[in-house]
Formats: sequence, C-alpha cells, structure tokens
Amino acid sequence: MTAKILIIEDEAVIRRELQILLENAMYEAAAPADFGDVPGQVRAFAPDLILLDVNLPGCSGFDLCTQIRAETNVPVIFLTSRTDSMDEVNGILKGGDDYITKPYQAPVLLARIGAVLKRANGGRIKETTQFFHKGVKLDIAGCTLAHGEEQRDLTKAEMKILYQLFRHPGEYISRMDLIEYLWENKIFIDDNTLSVHMTRIREKVKAIGVSELIVTKRGIGYRV
Amino acid sequence: MSVRAFLKDRFLLLVLHLVCMGMLSVFLRLTGYNGTNVAIILLFWVVILTAWLAVTYLGRRKYFEETGRILENVDRRYLLGELLPASFRLEDRLYRDMIRRSNKSVIERIRQIEASGQEYREYIENWVHEVKAPITGISLLCENGRQPEHASAAAPVTASAADSGPALHPETRMRETLRAVSMENQRIENYVDMALYYARSENVYKDFIIRRTSLQEIAEEVLEKNRLLLIKNGVRAEVDCPDAVYTDGKWIAFILNQLFLNCVKYRSAQPVLCVRTKRGKDGVSLTVEDNGVGIRGEELSRIFEKGFTGSNGRDHERATGMGLYLCRKLCGRLGIGLRAESEYGTGTRMLLLFPVGNYTGGEQD
Repeated sequence: MTAKILIIEDEAVIRRELQILLENAMYEAAAPADFGDVPGQVRAFAPDLILLDVNLPGCSGFDLCTQIRAETNVPVIFLTSRTDSMDEVNGILKGGDDYITKPYQAPVLLARIGAVLKRANGGRIKETTQFFHKGVKLDIAGCTLAHGEEQRDLTKAEMKILYQLFRHPGEYISRMDLIEYLWENKIFIDDNTLSVHMTRIREKVKAIGVSELIVTKRGIGYRV
Repeated sequence: MSVRAFLKDRFLLLVLHLVCMGMLSVFLRLTGYNGTNVAIILLFWVVILTAWLAVTYLGRRKYFEETGRILENVDRRYLLGELLPASFRLEDRLYRDMIRRSNKSVIERIRQIEASGQEYREYIENWVHEVKAPITGISLLCENGRQPEHASAAAPVTASAADSGPALHPETRMRETLRAVSMENQRIENYVDMALYYARSENVYKDFIIRRTSLQEIAEEVLEKNRLLLIKNGVRAEVDCPDAVYTDGKWIAFILNQLFLNCVKYRSAQPVLCVRTKRGKDGVSLTVEDNGVGIRGEELSRIFEKGFTGSNGRDHERATGMGLYLCRKLCGRLGIGLRAESEYGTGTRMLLLFPVGNYTGGEQD
C-alpha cells in the first residue's frame, strides 16, 4: 500500500517539485492549486498525510488545520518559511504533527514524513528488509551479509553502502553519490574512508565465498 | 562658576562703574566738595556695588548648580529643556524656550531613526522569509533533477546491458552541474540566515523557546545540510554528543553552522571535524574541534570582535568578520559561554558551555 500525501502549497514551483519528490519516493501525491475548499479536497482524496503551507493566499494554514482537525485525525506537517518560535508553538497547538521550516532539505523532509507516517500507522507500512543479488543476501534488520551458510556482520557504514548498491542492481553508483548518501544517513566520511570501507566489504564478501560481487569501474563507481 | 570668571563676565559693568566714580569725584572736587566727603560717597558706592554683585553671583551659581545636578541625574539629557529650574530672568526664560524647541526637534529625529530602524529590521525579516521560498524551489529542483531515472521506476538494468558499457546516465554532467547549483544555493541560504540572525540579535523579542534539545541531532542536521560543501572539501566528521541541554535548537543550529563553515574555510589538507559533548560540574560543554590552520596567539582574543578578519581571513577565503561576532552575541543572549582555543598550525577548538541553571539542576539523562 502506498501512502497518499496531499500537498497544500501556493508556490507553483515548490508544489510541483514536492509532488515529483514524493512520487520519486514512492508516495502517491496530490497537489491542488486551488485552496477554496481544502476540507472538501481532504475528504475526496482521503490522504494519509497532509503537507500544509502556513502562508496561503487568503487564508492561514493554521486555520485550515483547525478545519481539517474538526473532521479527521489525519497527520499534518506544517511547511513554512517563518522561523518564529511562536509560529511553531501555534502550529503544534492547532494540531500539527510536525513543523518544518523552509528551505528544507529533501532527505530531511522525507525522513520526517516517514517518521510521522510510521507514528500514525503504528508501523503498519512494512519496508523490505532483505535484498538478494547473485545469491547473496543482505539483511537490513540483522545487519548481515550472507551466502549459503556463511554469514558476516556488517557495520552501519558498510550496511548503508551495500544497501545503496543492492537497491540499484546493475547500475554504477559514483563514489560521490555514495558519500553523499552516507552523509544523508549521518555517516560523515571522506573519500579515503570510503575506500577503507570498500576494502573491508570486499574482504567480507570474499569470506562468505563469493568472488565477484562488487564491480569497480575506475572514475565511474561501483555496482553489484 | 568661579568668582573670577563671574567678574570677568561683568568686566564692562565694572569699567562703567569705575569711569562713573572717577567722573563724579572730579565733578565734586571742582564744585568745592572736600576730599573726605567724596571718599565716603565712593566707599558707599563700592559697598553697595559689591553687595549687589555678591547677591547676583550667589543666585546665578545656585541656578547653574541646580541645572548641572538635574543634567547629571537624568538618563536622557536631551530632555533638559523640560526640567530647567524656574527663573524670573528674561534671558533664562528665552534660553529655556529655545532649548525646549531644539530638544523637541532632537526627540522627533530620534523617534524617526528608531522607527526606521525598526521598519528596516522588520523588512529584513520579511525579506528573508520571502527569499526562502525561491531558495526552497531551487533546492527541490536540483534534488529532483539529480535523481537518476531508476528512482522513479523499479526497472533494473539487465545484466547484459550493464556489462556492455557503463550504465552511466548521459546527463551525468547535468547532474554535476545541479550538484554545484545546490551547493551554491546552500551558501546563499547560509548568508541569508546570517542577515536574519543579525537583524534579530539586536532585539529581545518573540524568538526563542528553551526546551530539551539533543545536541547530537542538531549537529547531525547541520552537517547534513552542508553535506555538499563539506564533501567537496573532503571533510570527515565525527559527532559524539550524547548529552542533552535546555536551549533553543534553532539558534544553536545557526551557531554550529557558523563554526562548521569556519572549519571548512580554514581547513588543512585532510580536514577532520569533531563535535563532542562532555557533562561537567557546571553544565554541558560542546566542543567543535578541527585540524585546520588554527589561529595566531595574538589574534585569538580578538576573533569575536565585529569586523575582525585577522591574517587567516586575509590569506584564505574572504572573511566578513561577522560570523563569530554573531555567534558570541547569540550565545550571550542564550546564556551560553563561548570560548576559543587554538594552536597555530595544528587546529582550533571552539567550546560552547551550557551552564546548569537552577531550573535544570535536577536534570538527568
């Protein structure tokens, strides 16, 4: 089941890009351009989450939130460019579940959407935790790499690197993209450290009895 | 007001009296008065004149002493016109009237400047909020443009196709460009934030909420926000901040942002950035340590001054001399200590000290 997200945002560019971002992240997103009857739109679309801009033409997101709250308990995340603390308190008081200030980072936004959805659904939406490629099993939950009977524990960084490679089998992922992905996951490493991690991963891959799992292309990147 | 100065001021009057005395003596002598009588007349004249001068002197002195005292005791001295002691003298009244009028115009001018300062600050705040919309737009555009095709559809490239050549997208260059645009956009955001916090640092108003704040989360968030710049400069970072403090997260994020950017600006060949907290008797201390170029000993005490750039600022990237100044100012407002330690050539350590207040004395992790 894909979660449905309703975007209420008056800036056309941000609205469109948010929709693309969410759809890329496998959500179903709707972004109406007319804010005359938001509660009606909420009823019609029945979203699992609403992203609500605070400054809308002719009305305030806070008031809209109150109206929405009168009908449903769907989680609401406020998006705003105002950084006043009073606004934030106001947002929480009006029944918002989170409050994110512009300019937001796409990974941060997605992480917080994920967190709110998880809280609201009580973990009903399950993520894949196991990946298979060339007979090698990557277990996200157990943080292990296995082939047949052989199994090795992975560190957090190694796990994240393999996860990113396993998610896009057959595609080269550049070192830069890998490093950036790791930074987005709170592992703040440089180029040299990535090489160290790659070496360790290779050793572990060898230890579980697989010869060619990760392919390196000089100047381009890695793939599985 | 000394007697001498007072007499000097009455010089012409004294001369007039002397001339009159002389002329009267000559006239009386010529009309046959005897010398003794003339002397008695002159003596009385002098006594009366002296008495009159003395009374005037004392009166004036009292008047000006009182004015001086009033001037000492009010904090807004430009209000003197309203406070001058009453006087029957015409000159005093005229002067008072003029001072009053002059003061009125000064007060109006101050009002104007205060109002325009306030308006300007509010405009800056609004402007910052306005400009954040396009910054967000650019950031999202870059983010979406950088997403490779596979993210939108689960269509793995077949093994044979991948083997025949690098499965790299032809628009790699485009993605590199967007990465660079994203980075520049982040720089704009950083500068815009500086303007916002500068405008806010002047006024004690509306903006902070003190609550339990995880320093780990804030440090990670700031690092992540600047990831493109940090990665490009080959920075490796370690965050180990298990201690939570009571403070305002947004302001701390701004301060950390400034400190991290400094670490990047004044980096060494292999920059390492360490953020740690330690719980001590007086509170929690957060250390931002780098292995950069460091700060010269003689400049260390001045780095928090407004507009101070130092030899580092001149030798490396352009420095505005505002970052650390703002940090100290905001720290002062939040009641946080800010201290710098550095050894030139080996690195710099910035310490933020979050004191344990009376309200949070019982705080446990």
